[in-house]
Amino acid sequence: MSIQYKSVSELKTMLNNNDISNAELIKETFSLIKSNAKLNAFITLNEEESMNKANKLDNSPSSGSLAGIPIAQKDLFCTKDLKTTCGSNMLSNFIPPYSATVIKNLENAGCISVGKTNMDEFAMGSSNETSFYGNVQNPWGKNLVPGGSSGGAAAAVAAGIVPAASGTDTGGSIRQPASLCGITGIKPTYGRISRWGMIAFASSLDQAGPMARTAEDCALLLYEMCSHDDKDTTSLNEDVPNFSENLNSPIKGLKIGLVKEFDLSKLDNEVVKIFEESKKHYESLGAEFIEISLPNISLSVPTYYVVAPAECSSNLSRFDGVKFGKRCENPKNLEELYIKTRSEGFGDEVKRRILIGSYVLSAGFYDAYYKKAQQVRRLIKNDFDSAFKSVDIIMSPTTRGPAFEVGSKGDDPIQMYLEDLFTIPANLAGLPAMSIPNGMIDNKPIGLQLIGNFLDESRLLQAAHNFQMSTDWHLKTPTGIKS
Amino acid sequence: MDKKTVSTIAYLSRLSINEDNEEKITKDLENIIKFVDQLDAADTENIEPLASPLEKTAKTRSDNVSAKNRKEVFLERSPKSNEDYFLVPRVVE
Repeated sequence: MSIQYKSVSELKTMLNNNDISNAELIKETFSLIKSNAKLNAFITLNEEESMNKANKLDNSPSSGSLAGIPIAQKDLFCTKDLKTTCGSNMLSNFIPPYSATVIKNLENAGCISVGKTNMDEFAMGSSNETSFYGNVQNPWGKNLVPGGSSGGAAAAVAAGIVPAASGTDTGGSIRQPASLCGITGIKPTYGRISRWGMIAFASSLDQAGPMARTAEDCALLLYEMCSHDDKDTTSLNEDVPNFSENLNSPIKGLKIGLVKEFDLSKLDNEVVKIFEESKKHYESLGAEFIEISLPNISLSVPTYYVVAPAECSSNLSRFDGVKFGKRCENPKNLEELYIKTRSEGFGDEVKRRILIGSYVLSAGFYDAYYKKAQQVRRLIKNDFDSAFKSVDIIMSPTTRGPAFEVGSKGDDPIQMYLEDLFTIPANLAGLPAMSIPNGMIDNKPIGLQLIGNFLDESRLLQAAHNFQMSTDWHLKTPTGIKS
Repeated sequence: MDKKTVSTIAYLSRLSINEDNEEKITKDLENIIKFVDQLDAADTENIEPLASPLEKTAKTRSDNVSAKNRKEVFLERSPKSNEDYFLVPRVVE
């Protein structure tokens, strides 16, 4: 029985019924990874350890909720004794001495980390084109980008190689690739998942989350990924609800907000048509639509491109060639060691963001840029706070269009930055948000974004699951993928 | 944004910019800064800056040793170290 395109829930049933052994499942997973190597979805494989774990599970079964399930981990999470590059040359030799809390949580639930997925360098990019390890191919088309930064994760799930993957989302890095690859992904409330052991990009925005084929699987994974962690001062100390519990409850009466300021008329007709169809579908499920106003939302992308580079320039100062990672050859002195190591180790986009960050934080500009952006960030958050007084969730397209061709955004960074137009606001406000497949344009998938109120992931997952129980967009599979 | 500013912020960032790229980087940064200048349009008078969506201050904890000393494990990851220290080029002549 093939395991390709199976969901976590389906694989669990197969394992429980002994339709497949743990060892067979993992062997088959590696066979899929290798026959689809041209997707370039993985940077590092963890085959030997995975096989050992699977054999062990066959001999002594575990009761963990994800026992034996193969999961691909984004190469941004530190994994003990397994190379962790963050998509960068800077960390091409880095083998962490510990695992991130979220990796530990998933592995404690029994999952098997089969490998580390390709990504934009230090998660800075929306197409996976900034990875030091090469582009990832979108399973839906040879020359199409998978989105980013969690592009390898999205491609591996979309190609049916693994049922689920971990991702991270600073400005849309789970939701945008999920949209472009036709899968489901959720970024929970900021603070739900510990950031300990996640290589930091922008600490006030970074949040991990699951990427999978269905909302049902995302609920299962999210539950295991969330925990309070003393090692992360921004980790929330809130009860983690059973996100799977209410998935099947009907959504009759759900109030869905439509953002007046999101000007959909500028989007491709097909994108608008698909969005309207999803609205109708939600109406048929009993939801009610209410227009809301988020007056400052149009300033989200400029706000992000001050806040994120500022935090990035500070976070990435740790890569200095001294304690870990790469070091340049034969530096003449300490200063040259820093400058040469960083100039050789970072790619162009990372350097660009560090430079912007240093600029907006430098004396004389701090108030005009960094402080100003933080003030606008509060206005944006206040807008959401008011909106959620009258609606339960907010809905928009996830992306401006389906997957685009490699190289098609040219070398104008702003064009790429606008790719995250709809996803960035949730990061600025720290709100949970997800993307679910809701249509196809020229055989390319596209996603619907649902944004929830603070800590209200359950409602998002319920709305997504109700949609998926009555549509089949999430079940579409690309052609041309090796079995 | 001019070449001089770019070279100053490059130095602050401990990055070198190669000459072939200098013009392109200056232009990119100029465009990005122009783009974020849209923020000027917002009225932010008396608005408290928001640094984190949680707005919680870090909790204090009791000062107990919780981690084992794993000096060797960490020094091992360094590009250059001896048994006690990370090694860098001589700083004081």
